[in-house]
Amino acid sequence: MKGEKLRNLSFFLSPMIIMVGLFYLIPLVFTVYISFTKMRNWNIERYLTEVVGFYNYQRLFHMFQHDPLMRTVLLTTIIFVGITLIINVFGGLLLALGTFFINERSSSAIRLLWLLPRMSPIAVYSLVWYYFFHGSEIGTLNSILMKLGVLSQPIPWGQIVPWGAWSVIIFVNGLVGVSFGMIVFTSALNQIPKELVIAARVDGASAWQISRKILVPMMKWHLLYVLTWQFLSLLTTYPHLFLLVQWDLVSRDYGTTLALYVYNTAFGRGEQDQGLAAAAAVLLSIIGIIGGLVTLKVLQFEKMIHEPRGDIE
Amino acid sequence: MVKITLDRITKKFGKFTALNNITLEIEDKEFMALLGPSGSGKSTLLYTIAGIYKPTSGKIYFDERDVTEVPPKDRNVGLVFQNWALYPHMKVFKNIAFPLELKKAPKEEIEKKVREVAKMLHIDHLLDRYPWQLSGGQQQRVAIARALVKEPDVLLLDEPLSNLDALLRLEVRAELKRLQKELGITAVYVTHDQAEALAMADRIAIIKDGNILQVGDPDEVYYKPMYKFVAGFLGSPPMNFVEAEVEGDMLRIYHSRIPIPKQYGEIIKKLNITEVLFGFRPHDAEIVRGEAEGIKGEIYSFEPLGREQIITVAVDSDVFVKVFAPEEEHFRFGEKVTIVPREDRVILFDKKTEKALEYL
Repeated sequence: MKGEKLRNLSFFLSPMIIMVGLFYLIPLVFTVYISFTKMRNWNIERYLTEVVGFYNYQRLFHMFQHDPLMRTVLLTTIIFVGITLIINVFGGLLLALGTFFINERSSSAIRLLWLLPRMSPIAVYSLVWYYFFHGSEIGTLNSILMKLGVLSQPIPWGQIVPWGAWSVIIFVNGLVGVSFGMIVFTSALNQIPKELVIAARVDGASAWQISRKILVPMMKWHLLYVLTWQFLSLLTTYPHLFLLVQWDLVSRDYGTTLALYVYNTAFGRGEQDQGLAAAAAVLLSIIGIIGGLVTLKVLQFEKMIHEPRGDIE
Repeated sequence: MVKITLDRITKKFGKFTALNNITLEIEDKEFMALLGPSGSGKSTLLYTIAGIYKPTSGKIYFDERDVTEVPPKDRNVGLVFQNWALYPHMKVFKNIAFPLELKKAPKEEIEKKVREVAKMLHIDHLLDRYPWQLSGGQQQRVAIARALVKEPDVLLLDEPLSNLDALLRLEVRAELKRLQKELGITAVYVTHDQAEALAMADRIAIIKDGNILQVGDPDEVYYKPMYKFVAGFLGSPPMNFVEAEVEGDMLRIYHSRIPIPKQYGEIIKKLNITEVLFGFRPHDAEIVRGEAEGIKGEIYSFEPLGREQIITVAVDSDVFVKVFAPEEEHFRFGEKVTIVPREDRVILFDKKTEKALEYL
């Protein structure tokens, strides 16, 4: 009996265990290990066994303190994650609430429109905004403003530091992220019985009062969930940033977050320093894990785990 | 505390006509039931009175005031829903206070009014709980309290008792009726339960497919139905209908012939009609063993209910009627009997229009 149960369990769980092991646990262990070695330029034969203890971490913290470039990366990360997070969560909430109060057909069309950024490939999507914010007169924004007579000279938007560069990366990432919150919030709103809204309307509540006093309080789990999810993904995302920096649309210094820094240091052009990159990656993971745990605690995750429906033999 | 006048209300959703030219007057302090099967438009009518829906055409008046274009919040109506629609994240006190808070009433006034209405509905000990901590009956009282706390002119109830169990429903039914009369508030009550409508309402409007078929007090719609639909919708079990042919002064009903009921003699002559539906209620007929003037048939089944029993009689191979009989009588399956309907309670309907002959 026990053997059979074990066989069943391992049959159902093995795909997930293999996936998690292969693509998450093993790389994680490697990364932590590499962060304690002198690994550079992928010279495995020479450096893989050269353990240097906390040297990379010391270097990292030294750079945080004294390297202006590293401080810029840190500042960019905080600004980028913070502001994009607010845009993602509240933008999604506003869109969901906005479409909730209008009729079904136009609200579906609006939601579909906002999903487009997520449906298009990252390179295509980034290219669109590359041309939009391009620093010469071929840039859509520049050309519109010049035709309107607002500008006489094209402005290299992404090269204005810091806020020009930050605005572009926040805008491009914020636009993709909004749809996630929008979908979660829309489905949460659709779960709320329509009678609650009707009752409030009859009692004289405006759309704003209905949203603030009834709908949002009833969506607080979804809000926290989207907040955490977006926080973690913004902390670790770099594909859009990589392309925008690579194409010289935004300033390299003020378009690089910690996640992109890790990638550039490990795989970028020129001198590669995997030991340092691994140390930064571990640091990033620790921040993420702390953030995740705090949210699970706040969400009271254990309360949301249900008893199985019926016995599992 | 207003008289509601609906003047030729039509409501369309796209191509679908939910309400078709509805004209209805609901008197001040009256308890009006809107009775109909699901999808008949009765809830749409209620929401149109509340202002949630705007009529496609027609006018709504509260007393002399035209409220057709007035938004829900300015109509001063209280609404109670089938699922009660309590705000789950607010305690009972907050739920009841919500309409007053929206009106920005002063704190002491809110406190006073909430306690008053809670006391009236016997929920003053529950103010500190959340809705999920209450039973169905208690939640329902909270919903009524929330509707009443702002002292509305009109109380609109959308199947408020449907989610309660049968026993509790009977209890709340009596209480709600009493409350409405004590407050002297104009009430419109939507239900698909004919017993509820008969028991509570001053008048009943029977709605089908967006049309009002008949409006009248419970006796009127029960004993003087204008349509076969009304007769068949009210009463449990509903009215029996059997096909009948006019033969001189007599009606042929399958294997029997009975005289035309007196009240219909003239009408049938005047209409010169030959085919009718013969309607009678289960408690307006007697079952007689052996020969008698009535509808012959045989016992198909019987269901004792305690005080009485429902007898199903086969009049023909697949035509059945139901009749109440006293509990003491015992029948056998297949026994030959005669049903003798009470003549003055018989209603004849036109076969084509399904309208009672006297209204043709």
